[in-house]
Formats: sequence, structure tokens, C-alpha cells
Amino acid sequence: MKPLAPLEPLLDARALHTRRQFFGRSALGIGTAAFASLLGRDARAGAAPRGQPGIAGLPHFAPRAKRVIYLFQNGAPSHVDLFDYKPMLRQWHGKQIPDEVVGGRRFSTMTGGQTARPVLGEITKFAQHGRSGAWVSDFLPRTAAIADDLCFVKSMHTEAVNHAPAITYFLTGAEMAGRPSMGAWLSYGLGSESEDLPAFVVMTSRDKEASCGQIFYDFYWGSGFLPSKYQGVAFRGRGDPVLYLSNPAGMSREMRRGLLDDLAALNEAKRRDFGDPEIATRIAQYEMAYKMQTSVPELTDFSRESPATLALYGPDVAKQGSFAYNCLMARRLAERGVRFIQVMHAGWDQHRNLNSQLKIQCQDVDAPSAGLIQDLKQRGLLDDTLVIWGGEFGRTPFLQGKIEETKQWGRDHHPYVFTIWMAGAGVKPGLTYGASDDFGFNPAERKVHVHDFQATVLHLLGINHERLTYKFQGRNYRLTDVHGHVVRDLLA
Amino acid sequence: MLLRRPRALRWLHALLGAASPAVAAEPIDFNRQIRPILADACFHCHGPDAASREAKLRLDEREGLYRVREGVAVVVPGKPEESELLHRIVSPHEDEVMPPPRAARQLKLEEKDLLRRWVAAGAPWDRHWSFTPPVASAVPEVPERRGWRSTPQVRNPVDAFVVARLQREGLTPSPEAPRAALLRRVSLDLTGLPPAPEEVDAFLADSRPDAYELQVDRLLASPRYGERWAWDWLDAARYADTNGFQGDPERTMWPWRDWVVNALNTNQPFDCFSIEQLAGDLLPGATREQKIASGFHRNNMFNGEGGRIPEETRVENVFDRVETTGAIWMGLTLSCARCHDHKYDPVTQGDYYALYDIFNQMSEQGRAAGGRSGAIAPVIDLSTPAEAEAVRKAQAAIDALVPEIERFELAKFPRPEGKPVIDSPAAQRLPGNLPATHARTEVRQRGLDGLLEALPFFRDTEPDPAYVKLLQRHIAAIRARDRANDNITRVMIMDQRGELRDTFILNRGSYEAKTETRAFGAVPALFRAAGPEPGPANRLNRLDFARWLVSPGNPLAARTSVNRAWQAFFGHGFVKTAEDFGVQGDPPSHPELLDWLAADFVAHGWDVKRLHRQIVTSATYRQSSRGSAALRERDPENRLLARGPRHRMPSWMIRDQALAAAGLVNLALGGPSVRPYQPAGIWEEATFGKKTYVEDQGDALHRRSLYVFWRRIVGPTTFFDAGARQVCTLKVPITNTPLHALVTLNDPAFVEAARVMAQRVLAGAAGDSARLRFAFRLVTARSPSAAEEGVLSARLSRLRANFARDGEAARLLSAAGASPRPAGLAASEHAAWTALCSLLLNLDETLCKE
Repeated sequence: MKPLAPLEPLLDARALHTRRQFFGRSALGIGTAAFASLLGRDARAGAAPRGQPGIAGLPHFAPRAKRVIYLFQNGAPSHVDLFDYKPMLRQWHGKQIPDEVVGGRRFSTMTGGQTARPVLGEITKFAQHGRSGAWVSDFLPRTAAIADDLCFVKSMHTEAVNHAPAITYFLTGAEMAGRPSMGAWLSYGLGSESEDLPAFVVMTSRDKEASCGQIFYDFYWGSGFLPSKYQGVAFRGRGDPVLYLSNPAGMSREMRRGLLDDLAALNEAKRRDFGDPEIATRIAQYEMAYKMQTSVPELTDFSRESPATLALYGPDVAKQGSFAYNCLMARRLAERGVRFIQVMHAGWDQHRNLNSQLKIQCQDVDAPSAGLIQDLKQRGLLDDTLVIWGGEFGRTPFLQGKIEETKQWGRDHHPYVFTIWMAGAGVKPGLTYGASDDFGFNPAERKVHVHDFQATVLHLLGINHERLTYKFQGRNYRLTDVHGHVVRDLLA
Repeated sequence: MLLRRPRALRWLHALLGAASPAVAAEPIDFNRQIRPILADACFHCHGPDAASREAKLRLDEREGLYRVREGVAVVVPGKPEESELLHRIVSPHEDEVMPPPRAARQLKLEEKDLLRRWVAAGAPWDRHWSFTPPVASAVPEVPERRGWRSTPQVRNPVDAFVVARLQREGLTPSPEAPRAALLRRVSLDLTGLPPAPEEVDAFLADSRPDAYELQVDRLLASPRYGERWAWDWLDAARYADTNGFQGDPERTMWPWRDWVVNALNTNQPFDCFSIEQLAGDLLPGATREQKIASGFHRNNMFNGEGGRIPEETRVENVFDRVETTGAIWMGLTLSCARCHDHKYDPVTQGDYYALYDIFNQMSEQGRAAGGRSGAIAPVIDLSTPAEAEAVRKAQAAIDALVPEIERFELAKFPRPEGKPVIDSPAAQRLPGNLPATHARTEVRQRGLDGLLEALPFFRDTEPDPAYVKLLQRHIAAIRARDRANDNITRVMIMDQRGELRDTFILNRGSYEAKTETRAFGAVPALFRAAGPEPGPANRLNRLDFARWLVSPGNPLAARTSVNRAWQAFFGHGFVKTAEDFGVQGDPPSHPELLDWLAADFVAHGWDVKRLHRQIVTSATYRQSSRGSAALRERDPENRLLARGPRHRMPSWMIRDQALAAAGLVNLALGGPSVRPYQPAGIWEEATFGKKTYVEDQGDALHRRSLYVFWRRIVGPTTFFDAGARQVCTLKVPITNTPLHALVTLNDPAFVEAARVMAQRVLAGAAGDSARLRFAFRLVTARSPSAAEEGVLSARLSRLRANFARDGEAARLLSAAGASPRPAGLAASEHAAWTALCSLLLNLDETLCKE
């Protein structure tokens, strides 16, 4: 494992050498303060003792996790076909789900007007796995094989019934767009450990069939009312992963270096003349951009990955823009100190194609997800990396469509209970936490709300979720709004 | 009531020791020093929110503070010993001390002392400053101090307030900025474009005493002025060219945007500007322009996601309209009051739904428009007579065809006249869904999709060539009508339902949780003069409310407007929290000046250009932005205004400046939005290939940033640190990340600008030195120093050598972008200058308004 880049020295020796004539002895001082402000810290904090990233006082206590990889499954995976085995569904298959179970709950308009709600049994086989005996269906064999490393939360519930609000709720704590996302909060609160990569990186992919229209809105990784430097940087699935990373055609790297040296010289003269400390930040900003031009191509160069490692992630790993590729990128970003890595994969919205598409969707996702856990584990990174896998809600235990039209079976959105899994830093491996009722419809025990989940993630990062706040419009906002309890039983 | 405990005030004295007497002489300002403490530490449980109020005690009102109950007085003016509040804040007992030990916000020692001194000084109370009308206080007399400098420090009343404050702080203003820098600053501020070198020369040569003011007048009269100031308003209005959310359909709100630019250019008074945008549709005899103006509140996002419950969308849109209005015209953050009484400001949930009722009366249903259009009714049709005629003709062609088809079908599907086709035995044996659906649909109602699906049956399965021909004519006619229709611009506007909706308070703000409490349109109680409670008899509509917003009854419209203007010039307003003038907002740095400007603004007919002129002709604005280390240490944010503003420009202005420096900028005014350079695949990735970005060609690539097409779910990539155009944004923070540097270094828009700027430089001057100076002036308005010229000149030599060695590199760089390249220009020389111009476009001084 490559050691995480220390905060000092922030300017490498070569960069220093080229501009020593202008910076003189003060170079390191300027660079440090300026870099500090670029790295997601308050400008004034730059003058504080070195090695204190983020805002003062954070983390509140010793963290178990240093970083997070969130494998977000857009569209909502069917909990009752993948993790939450309910023999009752098979027994009731085709019969109307009892009213007392449904209890007048609202659904999306796709089934909101549907009066027939026949129970739909799981569409594939379940088995228990590992020493922990966790239930996983045979659509996810690789995940099943590492069940003892995972912690399943089977009593998740949320409030939104449509995708965009529900995803926004998971990632920002509110259904309507406009609040900072989790990664933005963490960049703001904890700063960055990387000097040449953003603290918060996002990668997106979709199912091969392009079966659903779930869009990746940029507010899924927005900074809301936090300054925009905390927003996630979306790495692209084609071409330069970072926009405008490449020098224009005809400009070599050496020429760029020379131009940036002059730019720094002219800006430094201006700084001395004007006394504006913002100019020092500008100099550092351009220096970091130059470094990023080197570090990002190195980051995306998989040529030194062993065949064994590549094999862990499955056959799609070489395809830029695939979920498998993004999972390997996630590990490489984690190694380089990126704080929050949000990998989003769409295609789980099986309203009418459960019998055909779910299995294919699982094949795309299973090996990369499990491979990432195995890869992190064998490198010792799983000890301080939290991995989360899950969607924005679950899917109805009853059918959307007609029971005789098996090819068009589907399940609608189901916010009332669903399953996610977590692994790594500080989470109990091999644990199944909470449970749904016999129909997989409502939580039966130890409910975990979205805000509880968020409070728990922050806790693992050493943050008291009630104390990471930002004053906006006269109010102290936080990720968990005014709710949320840490689920301590999940913690190792 | 708690058991009485031994009084604990002595603890306070003990804790504070001898520290307090030294500062006790300073008078205490309740609004500035005391209310913020109470608000932050106490209002959460003892504030405006009735539901979470403890011990029925309110500390946000005078009555609560001076309350005496069961012999216990909260605050006894002049008598700290007898004031329960002071005992509570220092009590050593866990069950008695306030704030309670579990509270996140605890009082600091200095704050406790301040509260004690305030009580000792008679505990004066005052209404929150922004809730009382602004009054123009007397302009301070500022003694001119000899020996400061030759330029006047007080040119207008603005300066008198600023200098008076500086004198109190023991600071002196800075001298005036160099003339070139000043012209560049004011040109960028008023028009968003840098001055041309000839304009700089003319100004430098102009020895008239009012040369600067003449420049200001020239800039205020430029059509570029409206384009520059429209940007900030578009951020506030959450303007974009698409709806957002799934499908992200396009809308045509650009006529509204053009209305804004025009209103600013013609200097429409801000009160009319406000009324027309909030309620132009309700004005008596509303003109087409006034209806377009009312599109202001249709600029919000619209969630038409599949499976979405329409009422949920509709209610969220009303919330957005209430809260956007609150932020812009009242400086109040109302969103909390959706679910409960505001925690800090005296705005109840009832007040919120009274505003909600005002915006709840539009005919919008919450349902998406259907099809590809993002224009959701009500809309105004802006077709030209020719366009309307084209649609009418196309429709007439369809209408003429209908009887012909009907006659044919009466023969083909025999049935009694007047009965639908499906009643014919010949139609009933048609198979499956289609073409039976076709037969079930009246000819007049048939759409393109149904016809296209029915056609193959009659062509291939049961061939009837004559009928197929007829259907094909029908399809062609519908297509022609749709094409004509597509050319018509529909702008979303406001309207008012004939029968008003009943508004009920929504429990926790949930659209499906109506309570039984009705609300009637009214201004918040806080601003209501004593009178009858809101009810059906005095229910306000949108127009009433819009008029109230810009009436003397609302103390905040002028203050918030003046503050936003100041923010645009100086980087921050007097109140830093532009969207919050409430109790938890930032207290104003210059309260008297803010109020003077606000009152003066209203007294002079809400004249926006006059306000801008007043600011930019002040000595305060004209100061140099150079600052000594001591001054920067003392006032790093420049809130005291002892120097001029210096900030990185907004990214849209940086792009416009680059286009202007290259001489590339296309100054066409208004019209549909344009699509300049953007890396391939950005829209496709975000929309799963459903939206394809097709770059414009020719000079549309070089239109001003204001006109760049804004797709809500993935904004233009050439901008950074821009408002997201999703919700109302009144202040965009300036940040610095390496990604920003990559834009101005490598974005094809900037590379092309550098390349074309190089052409301009090579053609515009002779010899390296003159060319370097010309290029430098294009971006900074000043000539380079000898040292600067030395650095650039040395670089130029190296670049020449590089490109002379590498002809292919020279060819590539000198051909960047789509605009034509003059023939006969040597590639290596052109490339060398292109690289140099790119360097100049990235100078800190270039990126900053200085």
C-alpha cells in the first residue's frame, strides 16, 4: 500500500527549486497556508498548527474510518429477491397482500392506483452463507462468498417514494435538492489528505441494457450552501476523467511547466506589491492543477495491477465507465487519501422487467463489489475504509403488473423497509442487524432510519453528527437535520 | 417553578474578577451585542416557536424579558441581583443553569458578563433592527484632515458614513486607484466587460474634472449594463433553460430573461420591476410584457419524474415561490416555518401559510407537460404573426382533411351516422389493441403515435391502399402542424384561478397532511399594523402582496436591494448574509449607511442606475485595493472599507473578458440560448444518451455568457463557482480549486481566445515590446513594468525556439478553436504568442477585479 501523502511538505522539492528565485525563504510558508486553504480548510486555519485538516475540533473523537467508499445502487435493488429471504412470500404468492400489512401506505403513481396487490414470491433461490449464516440469493454469488465480512442492515426505512428525492435524502439528509451532500460535509469538516486529488470524488455507471431512466443529478454530490470547493468532483466515464485536464494540442508538459513558472513569478511579484494573501492561494491553485495533471493519469493507469487483482473485479474492469472499472478506481483513490468516494450505479428500477433484468444487473455488480472488499482487505485498507452498498429504498413484496404475465413482472418502489450492507472500518463483520416482518414489508425490529444511518457513518469517522454544523440562513444546519441516532450495535 | 436556590450571582462576579469595570464605560447596543447572544443561546426554547417553548417564557419579545411571575422577574432593569436570567446563566446547579448542560450552545464568560452589564445599564430593549423602517439619519460631518492626500475622501454621503467610521476606528482611507485600474474596475462592475485599450487611452487623456463620472455615465447607458446585472438576478430567480429532474425537458424562458435585461437597461424602477415579476399578470389590462415578467415565479425547477404524485410537486413549487420571495424582498428565511413556528424570527407557521395562500392560487397542476415540452401551463404564446399564421394554416389543413377521412370511414366501416367507428361490425373484428384503438378514437383526436402504429395493419395485413393514402396524408398534416408549433415560443407565466383554493396549514409541511386550520393571504403578523386578523374578507392576492412588498410597510425590500448592490461591487454586503436579515443574520457593518442608502433609494423612486452611480462615484469605491500588511491584519475581509475591492471575478465574467480581449465577443442582444464549446458527452452521460449536446457554429460560439444554454441537471462546464440555478441564490461564494485553473488553462473557449488574442496582438502592434505591452493592456488595462516585460519577453524567446523546433505542435496550437485564422501567419510565431496570451489570461490580475 502506498502511504497516504503527509500534509507536509506541500511543495515538492522540484517545484520549489524552479521558483526559489522568486519565493526565497518564505516559499514554504506561503505554500503551506495557501495549500491549506485549497485543501478544504478555512483560510485562517492555515495559520494554525500544521497537520490539522478540516475545521478546528474535528474529528470530535478517534475515528474508526478514515474514508468512505459508497457503492450507491440507484433505482433501488429488490431486498426480497437479494437479501431479505421471506418464505411467507412464496406461500402467499399470487394472493392479495393483507390490508393490515399494507396499512394504507402510499406508493408511487405506478401502483398507487392499482387495487390488485398480489404477493410475489422471491424470483430466485436463497441460501445461508459463511459462518454468520447470512441470507443472500444466488443472483449474488460473489457477495455471498464474503458474507462474513459484511454487516447487513435489514431494517432500513426512508420516507420518499420517488428516486430523486429518496437518493437526495440518503446523500444530503433532505428530500429537496440544495443541502450539502455527505461527501461535502466530510470534505468541509475533515479536510483532505491528498494534495493532488480532490477530497471527494464521484463516479457513475449504468446497466448495460440502459433499462431505466434514472439520471445522476449533480446535487447528489453538491455542496449546497457550503462553498463549492467542497462539492464532489465527478470523474468522467470517458476521455479525461477530470474536465479540461489535458493541455491543449500543441502544448507539451514542459512548456506548460515553463509558463506556470512565469505565471507564479508574475503573481508572486504582484503579491509582494499588493499584499493580498489571496494571490498566494492563486499560486498554489495553479501548482495543484499542474500536479493533478500528473497524478490523475497515473491514477487511471491500471498497467501495474496484477492479473489476480484485476480478476477480482470481473471482466468489465478494463472498460472505462463501467461499475467494475469504477470499483477499482475507488480502491486506487482510497490508497491516495481521497476522503469520500461515491460510486453510483443505475439500473435497479425493475418495474416491468424483474424476471429478465435483475439477474443481469446483479452480474454486473456482484463481482466488482465483492472484489473491492477482498482487494481492500488484502491490502489492509479495509481496516480504516468504510464501504457501503445500497439503494435509496427497496421494492414492493407485491407485484406490479399481472401475475399471469411473468415476462412483465415487476416491483414498485418500497420505502418502508429494505436492506443495505456495510463493511470495513469499525463495522461488525458477519452481523445481520434488524429485521423486517414476515412479508418484508415493514420493519419488525431495530428500525434504522436514513438519518440514523447518516449519524452512524459520521460516528465512524469520529464525528458527532449533532456537532458538525454550518450556519446558513440564520440556522445551524447539519447532515441529519434535527434527527438521527448512532446505531451503536453495528459498531465493532 | 423551580425551588428557589441561594442566589448565584456572586459566582459571576467571582468568575469575572476585575475584568469588567475597565470596559463597563462603553455603552451597550442591544441589537448588536445582546440580541445575538439571546437568539443563539436561548431562542431555541424561549423564542418565537410556540411548540417548543419552555416555561412559557419568550425572550425574543420585550414582554417576556421583563416578565414578572410569582415574584420572579426575568430581567429587572438596572438590578442584576434581582434578575432571574442572570442567576440562571451562572447557576452551579445542573437542573437550574441555563442553557442546560446538554445544550450544544453554551454561553462564554464574556457573554455572561455582557448580559450582566446590559442589565446593570438599565436593560434597554429594541426591536430587531431590520424590522423597523429604514430612516435616513443625518449624514455625518467629517472633518477633512490635512495632510492625508490630495484627492477628496468625501465625494458623496456614502463616503461621509464610511470615513466617519474609519476615523472612529483610527484608520485612514486609501488613495484613489490608478486611473487605468479604476476604469477597468468600473467597466467590469457595470458591464461585465473590460475597457478597450482605446477607451483607457481616452480616459487617461481626459483632464476634465468629471472625466470619471462621464465614463460611468457612458457605461450605465451601455446595453451591456443590463446583461451584466441580469446575471445576479437570474441566480436569484433560479433561471435555467430546462425543468430539471427526470428527462430534464427544455423550456423557453429566454423571453423572460430578455425582459429582465431590457428592464435593467431602461432603468425600470425597482418597485415596478418587482410588481411586474411577482404579479404582472394581475395588473389591470396587463400587457404582453407584464405577463412575460410574471414568469419570474415559473423559473423554479419542476419535478415531472415518472410515478411522481402531482400534488407533491405542486406544493413544493408553492413552497419554493414563498421562500424565494421571502429571501429576495424580505431578507427572511422562511423555510423553517413550513413545519413549525420559526425558531428565531417572529414568523409563525400561520404566517407562512398566509403567504402560501397568496401563491397557492395559480392554475398549475403539478403535472408534467407531457411529450418533449418543458413548458407547463399556464403559458403565453409569443408567436409572431407569421408563425401563428403558419400554425393556423397547418391546423386548417388537418381540419379540412378530417371530414374526408370521416366520409371514407363511414363507407369502410358501415354504421349508423353519428356512431363511432368501433360500433361498426367491420371495426369490431380488428385484432388486438391496435388498430382497435385507432377505431375507438375520433378522427379529430387521433395523434401521430397512434396513426403510425395503425398504418402497417392497413398497409400490410389487410391492405387498403386508398385508406393508407388517406392516413398518410393525415400523418403528414399533423407533422407539418407540429413543426410549425415547434417554432412557437411559449413562456411560462403566472395566472390566477377563478375559484380560489382553500389553503390549510400542512402538518410538518407535508402535502398530504392538511390540518383543519385555514390560512388566508396576509403579510406576516410581524409587519401587520394592528387591525383585523386575516380572513376571507381581507384576503390578499398576489398583486396586493407584491404592492405591499415595495411599500413603506415592508422595511426590508430597499435594504436587501441596496445590500445586494453593495455586495456586487465590494464582494460582500453591509450584511454578509444577503438572504437573511433576521435575528440570526449577520449584523450590518455600517447600519446607518445601509439605512441611509435604502431610504435614499426609495426617496428617489427606486432608481437602480442612480444607486449604482452613487456607489461607483464614491471615493470609497474609487480607493486603491492595495493594502498594507497592518491593514490586512486588522481587517482581512475589508469590512471597514479602508481600501478598494479586490476579488476574483465570477467565472462567467472571466469568460466574457477573455472573449473581449481576443476581440471575439459577439455582442448580439437577447434571443434563444446558445451552445458554445463543451467537452463531448457531458449531456449524454448525465441523461443516459437522451440529450445530445450539439455545439453551435460560427459567432454563436462567442456570445456573452448570459446567453449560454443552462441545462439544469448538468450546468455549463465552462463556469465554476456559479449558482446552481436550482434554488434562489443571492450570494455565490468565491472559492479556489485546481479545477478552476484547469478551465482557464485548457478549456477550448480560453485556448481559442488566447489564439485569437495573439492574432489581434500581432496585427495591432509592431515589434515584440509594443506587442507585449498591447497584449498586457488587453487583460489588465495597464502597461507592464520593466520586470514583467522582462519575464514575458524571455518566455517569448523560449516559446519561439520550441515551436520552431516542433512545427506540428505549432500548427496544432495555432489552429485551436473554430474561428477563422488569417492566412499567411507563420504557425510558429502565432503559436508562441498564443501560449503567451494564455499565460496573460491566467494572471491573477486578469482573473481579479482589482
